Amino acid sequence: MATQSANRPASRLEVRVPPKNQRRPAHIDRWLAFASPLIAILLWEGTVRLGIMDDRFFPEPSAIASTAKDLVQSGELQRQVGVTMARVGVGFAMGAVPGVMLGVAMGLSRHMEAILRPLVSALYPIPKIAVLPLIFLIFGFGEMSKYLAVATSVFFVVLINSAGGVAQIPVIYREVGSSFHLSRLQFVRTIALPGALPAIFVGLQVGLGVALIAIIATEFVGAQSGVGFMIWQSWQVFRIKVMFVGLATIAILGFLSQTLLEVVRSWAIPWSPSNRRR
Amino acid sequence: MPADMSAVGRGGNPDGPWDHPGAGVAQAVVTTSGHGGPSRKLSLTHVSKTYGSGVAAVRAVDDVTIEVEVGEFICVVGPSGCGKTTVLRMIADLEPLTEGEITIAHHDPTRALTTVIFQEDSILPWMSVRKNVSFGPRMRHVPKSGYRDLVEELIAKVGLTKFADALPHQLSGGMKQRVSIARAFANDPEILLMDEPFAALDEQNRLILQEELLRIWGETKKTVVFITHSIDEAVFLSDRVVVMSARPGRIMADIKVPFDRPRTLHELRVDPAFGALTGRIWRLLRDEVRKAEA
Repeated sequence: MATQSANRPASRLEVRVPPKNQRRPAHIDRWLAFASPLIAILLWEGTVRLGIMDDRFFPEPSAIASTAKDLVQSGELQRQVGVTMARVGVGFAMGAVPGVMLGVAMGLSRHMEAILRPLVSALYPIPKIAVLPLIFLIFGFGEMSKYLAVATSVFFVVLINSAGGVAQIPVIYREVGSSFHLSRLQFVRTIALPGALPAIFVGLQVGLGVALIAIIATEFVGAQSGVGFMIWQSWQVFRIKVMFVGLATIAILGFLSQTLLEVVRSWAIPWSPSNRRR
Repeated sequence: MPADMSAVGRGGNPDGPWDHPGAGVAQAVVTTSGHGGPSRKLSLTHVSKTYGSGVAAVRAVDDVTIEVEVGEFICVVGPSGCGKTTVLRMIADLEPLTEGEITIAHHDPTRALTTVIFQEDSILPWMSVRKNVSFGPRMRHVPKSGYRDLVEELIAKVGLTKFADALPHQLSGGMKQRVSIARAFANDPEILLMDEPFAALDEQNRLILQEELLRIWGETKKTVVFITHSIDEAVFLSDRVVVMSARPGRIMADIKVPFDRPRTLHELRVDPAFGALTGRIWRLLRDEVRKAEA
């Protein structure tokens, strides 16, 4: 049944594939991108049903889906997702805003660079998860400690990319600034910030991924709610299907948040070379 | 001539452009008005530039003295690496001088003193053509009514009305350089500094832009310092050609261009006097180019 539905569109395509294939190879790529995860899921489903894979560790996707359905109907999943996303949102903003500001300042001023570079170089490589106990010690188990766990993870990635973005602005644009006798503030607003924006967005994209990792880890050990808590708790009570629902939820949240950021990026940087290819 | 005419002089030491992206490091050494007579716009007096120090010191510009009158269009020609761009950058305050003095009469302090048209693509990729052209007045806080018409007029003059809202990546190299010219004229500086602005363009585009430049310049009569390595371009465009030697750049000749304006290049080319003048400049430069290549 599942196999048939996957085949049908393919056989329909075959009739008109030769001319269309030559004109628009992107069409095929879109099908492949859609088909590859589908095939992986079908393989998973099939091997579990045939008893090749142990369904205690890898419950079949259809069973996970029905668990997810139950969790959605009870409102449990939405509640946990809401809690986690609020933590990611606030923490991300708390890390990204000062990260951009200090990063741009660092890229602009040798003094700022001299002050911040050694601190950043020393603190950046510390896994932020390792700081969690300290955060809990100081801020307790309230929401603030979750925000800070996310913020510290996001901050450095965004800062380093922003500083690099400003430093990489072609010299000619700086000279345009000098030639037009810009004030410092005008230079930041019209040349440094827009020039660094593509790199800043790279920082934000990486930072968003890191933010999800940080919040899940934090919820494992220091929370009574959230998707991370849901996964950790389902391990302790051996509700493996719920665990997989949690994992799938994180994957979907990651995909959606990156897509959202990508939309913001192409809106904010219409001149970016990577937008032009589309 | 306004009574409050003041002169700005420069000399002194650099600071990193990174920490002072907008601020000039000009040091006012001359404040007397009427330096060199009321029609004197710009004078370079015994200006030298040395890069580095000690054994590694390279003298790029050596004892250059040039005087430019108000409304004059001068071209500086010289072999590659002779320091002609350095001269322009020192006038623009993009680089400090090592010795000597540059004096610029600032006739109207509400206007920009200098604006540079660069050789490379320098229009800001994150601004539309219109925003690029209006960049100067916007940054000087001129009210919109004070520049809107001029900006539209200049966009039309360089033939980009249809592209006024386009972003630079949608434009060809020639169109980008047109934006750059319109941007400089829209800033309405007292002195326009052009650093080989057409060098990166193909022959046809270069000819068209040269004539466009002369047309726009003819209406505004700005003081222009134009750097080029092309003898034809220098003679076609300017009132005076300053010929520089190979490094360290010295002034070898300062030649008046006698042709009437408005000029067109194909008319000039059939004039024997044009051939004689470009020939004379070429003979001056030939040995210098060999020296620079050696």
